[in-house]
Amino acid sequence: MIKKEKLQEYAKKLMFDMKDEEYETLAKEFEIITKKMDIIGEIDNLDQIQPMTFPFPLENVSLREDVASNTINIEDIKVNAKELENDQVKIPKVVE
Amino acid sequence: MQYLNLTIDDIRKALDNKEVTSDELFNEAIKKANYYQKDYNSFVTILDNYEKVESNSILNGVCYALKDNISTKKILTTASSNILKDYVPVYDATVYKKLKESGAVLVGKTVMDELAMGGSGTTGHTGIVRNPWDITRQIGGSSAGSAAAVALGIVPFAIGSDTGDSIRKPASYSGVVGFKPTYGRISRYGLFPFASSLDHLGCFTRCVKDAAYVIDVIKGHDDKDMTSLNDDNKEYSKSLDNDIKGRKLFYIKEALECDDNNSELKEIINNFKQTIEKCRSIGFEVDEISIDNKLLEALYPTYMVISCAEATSNNANLTGISFGPRPLEKNVNDLIFKARTTGFSELIKRRFILGSYILQKENQEKLFLNACRVRRLIVDTINKLFDKYDGYIMPSMSSIAVKFDEKENQVSNKNFAIEHLLLIANFGGMPSISFPCGIVNNMPISINMTSGAKNDELLLNMAYKVEEVLGYKGINRGDDNV
Repeated sequence: MIKKEKLQEYAKKLMFDMKDEEYETLAKEFEIITKKMDIIGEIDNLDQIQPMTFPFPLENVSLREDVASNTINIEDIKVNAKELENDQVKIPKVVE
Repeated sequence: MQYLNLTIDDIRKALDNKEVTSDELFNEAIKKANYYQKDYNSFVTILDNYEKVESNSILNGVCYALKDNISTKKILTTASSNILKDYVPVYDATVYKKLKESGAVLVGKTVMDELAMGGSGTTGHTGIVRNPWDITRQIGGSSAGSAAAVALGIVPFAIGSDTGDSIRKPASYSGVVGFKPTYGRISRYGLFPFASSLDHLGCFTRCVKDAAYVIDVIKGHDDKDMTSLNDDNKEYSKSLDNDIKGRKLFYIKEALECDDNNSELKEIINNFKQTIEKCRSIGFEVDEISIDNKLLEALYPTYMVISCAEATSNNANLTGISFGPRPLEKNVNDLIFKARTTGFSELIKRRFILGSYILQKENQEKLFLNACRVRRLIVDTINKLFDKYDGYIMPSMSSIAVKFDEKENQVSNKNFAIEHLLLIANFGGMPSISFPCGIVNNMPISINMTSGAKNDELLLNMAYKVEEVLGYKGINRGDDNV
């Protein structure tokens, strides 16, 4: 069974924590899921198949011209800002 | 007199004949939404006004609901998650913009499984959604509230999203039509992403014709979504009655080899066999085909691997800084850590950790890339069959809606169940529709029809013809006396 410390390491990388009993549930779930994931590896000749990342080739893959086309005005932007100073969004210090 | 439990055609007629006004319809919808809210919890937000628009669209004045992961400027949009519980979008999703321009009237934003990751309708931050057919049962998810709003006759249509089965499963559990068109047919601009390569928008209605009307309005190319398809310039509602004689369908033999002790599943399969005979009686040719069991068993793990990996990456922007509640912490790292620890529920965290595990350098080839390879193998297998067949038909689910005490959010030990077939349409971006085909143990059951990518028009045409012979069109669970 996957160790709790390993799961905690993943959680830390994802920048959250869980309760002890939640890690236990997750460890049990990992047992089932990793067994299921083994089914993927049992399929023959997988190395000869190109991985599929989209359902079918995209029709419109060209990049648009580098011209501003879709702008949001400052008043709208402010709606979700928790703290503002001179029309700038304030966040805690990044460099201490 | 109630109007919102009628078909869109009948509501249109009533509006055009001035039997009812759009204001009266809006009031009817709000009254019903509030009346059912305590028992069923369909909505995160119920609106109290709307803007009138001049338009010749069939949807002008017709009420509808939107899943709460679709951006609506100035209207709270939470994705049913605490991490977005106060988020007000600053722009409109294209699907909402198109509906607004058509004059359709938004009634509210519907409850979903948190961040669309779940299939039970029980993980939203404002509580569980209950099944209108039996309050002790789940409605399924993730587009739970949208399904409930249509099943209760609050609105004739609602918009949902579908990454694995999130429209078709709740539609099946609540006796309504659930349709997701081809990948890219409806712009995803403004839809909160779950797994971008699998995410589709679609609709809930109470008949196939209404689904065609809705998709006719919301489909089309959009420069803001690079996965958006060029418009096919077809009106699906105009070709529903096309002749289907000689159209070929298949069903998968292995999926029907059920456990003999499960009497409910036996009934579902017997109903399916009768449905097949009805299809044949109106001119369909239906063949039984075989698919390697290994591929069928790989459907679910392939989905888990791809969807969890994509979701982990897509939701990295939920930090408490740009959107959602911001905890008071002295530095950015602590702030993000606290926002994510308190903002995500346990199920979401478990999925993200799984996604992170899959994306670790040492697992990428074995897990992520191999799942992407199996995805191609599955899609190629089905597409090859579509060279000969116009679509496939299967039961949507292997059971009626489950009770709340059945452990829906735990990963099942079963390697294959009929509902895993719904994933195929997300892997291959195929149009796929589920609609009611019978009643088992007083609960609705449904069939699913799926066609090749971009064959939306033909799929709706075939589903419309099958719906006609099944006799479950327009069923709803609304109370006539509300």
